[in-house]
Order: sequence, then C-alpha cells, then structure tokens
Amino acid sequence: MKKQTLWTRITNPKYIMVYATIGIFLAIYAFGAFLYGDKGFLTVRTFVNLFIDNAYFGISAVGMTMVLITGGIDLSVGAVASLTGMFIAYGTTVLGLHPLTCIAAALVMGVGLGLLMGWVIHYLNVPAFITTLTGMFLARGVCSLISRESIDIKHPFIDALAGWKIYLMKYVDGNWVKIKPIAFINFNVILFLVMIIIGAFILQRTRFGRNIYAIGGNEQSAALMGLPVGRTKVLVYGFNGLCSVLAGISYALYVKSGWNLSLQGGELEVITCAVIGGTLLTGGVGYMAGTLFGVLLKSVIPALITFNGNLLSWWGKIATGLLLLLFICIQRFVVTTSDRKKGQ
Amino acid sequence: MSKKSFDISSLMQSKVTWAVIAELLILLVCFLIRPDFFSISYQPSTGMLYGSLIDIVNRSAEITIISMGMTLVIALGGTDLSVGALVAVAGAIALKFLRWDVLAYPTPGDYTVCSYILVLAVPLIVCALMGLFNGFLVAKGGIQPIIATLILMVCGRGVAQILTDGKQFTTGYSPFRFIGQGSFLYLPMPIIITIVVVIAVALFTRKTAFGAFVESVGVNPNASKLSGIKAAGVILIVFMITGLLSGIAGLIYSSRIMSNDSNNAGLNFEMDAILAVVIGGTNMSGGKFSLAGTVVGSLIIRTIVTFVYYFGIVAEATMAFKALIIAVVIVLQSEPVRKYFAKRAALRALRKGGMKA
Repeated sequence: MKKQTLWTRITNPKYIMVYATIGIFLAIYAFGAFLYGDKGFLTVRTFVNLFIDNAYFGISAVGMTMVLITGGIDLSVGAVASLTGMFIAYGTTVLGLHPLTCIAAALVMGVGLGLLMGWVIHYLNVPAFITTLTGMFLARGVCSLISRESIDIKHPFIDALAGWKIYLMKYVDGNWVKIKPIAFINFNVILFLVMIIIGAFILQRTRFGRNIYAIGGNEQSAALMGLPVGRTKVLVYGFNGLCSVLAGISYALYVKSGWNLSLQGGELEVITCAVIGGTLLTGGVGYMAGTLFGVLLKSVIPALITFNGNLLSWWGKIATGLLLLLFICIQRFVVTTSDRKKGQ
Repeated sequence: MSKKSFDISSLMQSKVTWAVIAELLILLVCFLIRPDFFSISYQPSTGMLYGSLIDIVNRSAEITIISMGMTLVIALGGTDLSVGALVAVAGAIALKFLRWDVLAYPTPGDYTVCSYILVLAVPLIVCALMGLFNGFLVAKGGIQPIIATLILMVCGRGVAQILTDGKQFTTGYSPFRFIGQGSFLYLPMPIIITIVVVIAVALFTRKTAFGAFVESVGVNPNASKLSGIKAAGVILIVFMITGLLSGIAGLIYSSRIMSNDSNNAGLNFEMDAILAVVIGGTNMSGGKFSLAGTVVGSLIIRTIVTFVYYFGIVAEATMAFKALIIAVVIVLQSEPVRKYFAKRAALRALRKGGMKA
C-alpha cells in the first residue's frame, strides 16, 4: 500500500467538492472586498458577524450533514428549534422556571422525537421525508398550542449567556487593545465551532461515523457486512434532534424571544447549507469542513446585499438558488467524470 | 366463500382502503359531534350550494390539483418541492398583468390593464416552463428530483417578490374573481376546475399508454429505456404537467384573495401535496400510482383542517392534529403492519380450509 503523506491526503480527489466550496466562498468574498472594501467589508468584524448571524444554522447543519450522509433527510429541524425557543421563553417568562430546566426539557423533547422518528423510519420502513414532515407538523403544532404570540425572554441567566463575549484583541506597542471596529466572539460562535469539531470527529474518527458512511454508500451491503444499521440510523436522527435543540437555544440567545412561527422554512436553508458544502443527498458523501464553508457561503450573500443597500433582500434568495444550481452542476460533473474513470 | 374472504384481505392490504376508512372515520366523528355537519343548503343569491362538505372539497382544490401532478412525479420515484413557490409566481404574474398601473391608481377597480387572456395564459406558460426546467435538470442533467426542484423552491418566491417589487397588489376585476369565488352548476368554480383537472389527468394517464410509461420509468428507468420508452421525454412531460397544475392552483389561490401574497401563497403546499399522495397509497419509491387515492388523501388533509376550525381549536394548532392523524394513517399503511394483516388473513384462510378438510 502506498504510504499516505500529508500531501496525498490533502489532494485526495474525494475532497474536491469541499475545495470547490472553499474556492467559491473565497471568490465571492474577494468580489465583496473589491466592491465594498472601502465600506468595511474586509474588516474582521464583518467576517466574525458571518458566524454570529448564522451560528444556529451552522449548529443544525452539523446534524443534518450526518442525516444526509446516511441517505436520509430531516425536515423537522426548524420546527424543533422553534419549539425549543418556545420552551425557554414560555418556561422562564410565564412559568418562572430556570432556563436550564427548560433546556433540559427541550433536550428530552428534541432527542426523543429524533429517536422516535429514526425508529419509525427504520423499523416501520416509512420514508424519512414523510416521517420527519409529520414530526415538523407536530412540533409546529405544539409550538402554536403553547402560545401564538411572540414571548420575550427576560432572565438574568439568559441575559448573561447572550451577553457574554470575548473581544478580539491585537498587540500594539506592548499593550493588548481591542481591534477597531470592535469584533467579538460569543457563546453561539463557540458552540457552532465546537459542534463542527465534534461532528468531524464522530464522522472521521469513530466506528459510528464509519457506519454512517457505510449505510449511506449502500444500506444493504452495510447490513450484510453485519453493521448495526438500525441502531446507527436511529442514533443519527437522535443526534440531529440534539443539534436542532442546540440550534434552538442558540437562536433563542440571538433573538431573545420565542415565537411559534420562527425559523419557518429553516430546514431547507439548513439542507441548502449542507448541499452547497458538498454533501450528496443520495448519501455516502459529505464532510464537516464542507458544511462549515457551506454555512459561510450561504451567509456571505445576505451580507453582500446589506452592504449594497439598494437591492431587495429577495435577490439573496435568487442568488442562493443560483449557487445551488452551480453546485449541483459541479457535483454532477465530478460524479460523472469519476464514474467514467472507474469504468475504464 | 373462500374467494370472498380473499378479497377482503387483499382490500385490507391495499393502502387506498385505509385512506378511505380514515376519511370516513374522521367524517363520522365530525357527524357525531355536530349532527348538522353533513347538511347542505342552497343560497339563491350566489347560486351556490353551501355546507361543510362542499367547503372541504372547495378548499382542497389547490392541493388536489397540484397533487395530481405530484402523484405522477412520485410515481417516477421523485418529489417536486417547487410547487408552492410556483403558486406564488403564478399569483404574482397574474396580479402584475391585472394591476400594471398600481402606481398611478392605487385603489383597485373592476378592470384589467392587460388583456384577460394574458392574465390567465402567461402565468400558466411561465409555470409550465419552470416545470420544464425542473424536468430538464432531472432528465438531461441526471440530478436527483428533490435537489433539482429545491433550486426553484429557494428562488421561486424571490422571483415572485421581485416581479411585484416586494409589494402586494389587490384587484377588483370580476372575471378574475370568478375563478376562485364564482359558481357553475350550483358548485363553486374551484370544485369544477378540480373535477376537470382530475378527469383530464386520469384520461391522459389511463386511456393512453402514458401512465404505464410513468410506472415503468418509476420502477426501473434503465429497463424501460431498453424496452424502448423514452424515459427523458416522460420525465420532462411529467414535470411540465406539475408546473402547469401549480400555475392553475396559483390562479385559484390568488383569485380567492384577489391579491398576490408572495410570502404565504402556496406555503407548505409541496408538503401537503406529497402527504396527500402518500396517504393516497402511492409509494414514494416510485412505480404504481393511484389518482383516486390521491384525491382521498387531499380530502383527508382538508377534512382535518376543517374539523379543527369547526370546533374552535386554535387555527395554528391544526398542524399538531394533522400530524397525529397522519401518523396513525402512515403507521397503519406501513409495510410491517400490512404484512401482519396479510399474515393473519392467510392464517384464518388456512384454518378454515383445514376445518373443511
């Protein structure tokens, strides 16, 4: 067997989609810098804000990437995140509970629903699309049963967690000073990055992660090899439920309120992040690094539109759609060329 | 005797049967709680029949029409996520043509700026072309349908918003009102349109070989290609039909509210349509499809919503009830449960046969 050097590992053709994502992100970023560099597009603050404003999408995308790699799909993430926000808002403001109690309840709800959906998908053989769609309806409906109005979250613990931030410093003339314009990292950003790292670790370094790829590649072969297909699938949906709840917490910290209609359509934005990050919906292919840049790529477009100031925000939707089209074409091209190589 | 019992067991294994039973049960519960649920009255001033049943069929029109196309897409083994966005696009284009002068004359009147034929034809043509675009990506690009249609689902509403500058126009043009609120033969127009669409799709798929082509491509695209079916052509036509039907649904929707609402028009329609098809017994992995089952599925979804409204439960909570009832239907239809019934029926038949012997 050929020895794997760092270079051969990096240039492995299986990472080509991840590099395409990173390349297009850099290209769009350079484009923004060229157009709006003088308005402050190039500052650290703008870059960090990409993380702050989209951390909840990113956290959810970690779980979604795993689900997509198994060849499944989860449409319930937006509703579960919204329900988590509602738990926290209703629990703290109306019932007077401690936020941690609410979060614990939300975790039980989210992970439980995820495991249940995974069980139905695998053991009752119901398509993932339909099962998780029903889960979405259920979570949204319960959300509306709790409250139909937006509830503000006012609790010292939440305020402290949402207000906690690390300022980015630079070393000037022997002193550490805050960089200007002021940029900081908050709890959400750290949670996002930690989840990406955990996700990457699970996928690349654990037996569970290898099972996920194997199931996505070919479920029947995986079962014939003796891999625990059912257990892995159920756990993946459970993990995705956990990610949805964490995304919901992150969103609650971001907007400091709970609303039954919040994050509507969020599930498709999350799926879009994963797809433009190079995850194949047919299963078996996908990397956390790709998802990280997929989230950044999707969030840099609204940032560009804000910097322009004249365009309707709807152009962002159209640009995202075109981006999706571009990526699908690249993926298609890569897959057909690699198939042709295999054929020879 | 044994033949009859065999028929019942095969009926119990059919998914459509379960859908019909579910619909009848929900209606029965409605009837038990409110005995006047089935009453239908005639209103001479509008020339229309009124009643909960009529209302259910009327309000399910958009989903039923879209799910006719969705049934074919799912029979091909795909899904079309863009239908809801196309509903918004159709409404935006129609209102754009009706109210091109909205800046000069902000109050709506009973007139149209462009010819009424354009108002109706352009949205349908655009939606059909968008459907064709989906079909092109799937058939020629070899892209998974769910991804190919995700593109228009993401962009579609953006296009609709930009067409109308992000604004909501209203109109008072009465021929346009007729589509969604008028009546014909004592029935609301949407019901008439739905009946025409269902019959047209049924004739097209069952009286020509097209339905068989769709099922064959859904089961095995390669095999059907080898047997001489042009799979690409079939896929293109199916997606184009779905786009066109979404356009019709969009016109009905915007005629009901006499306005365009690019944010909410057709919201979650793709989900409802897919559910209607699946409840109706068409398998998501493709192959055999049942248009009649889909109609029942669409009616079930609407009956649940009407049921919830009728008994004064919070409107937004409808989703939770929808989820519970759909969960029951889906679990009953799932393979293990149906196999269980099949096994029991077979056992009973065996025992009977044994007793006779």
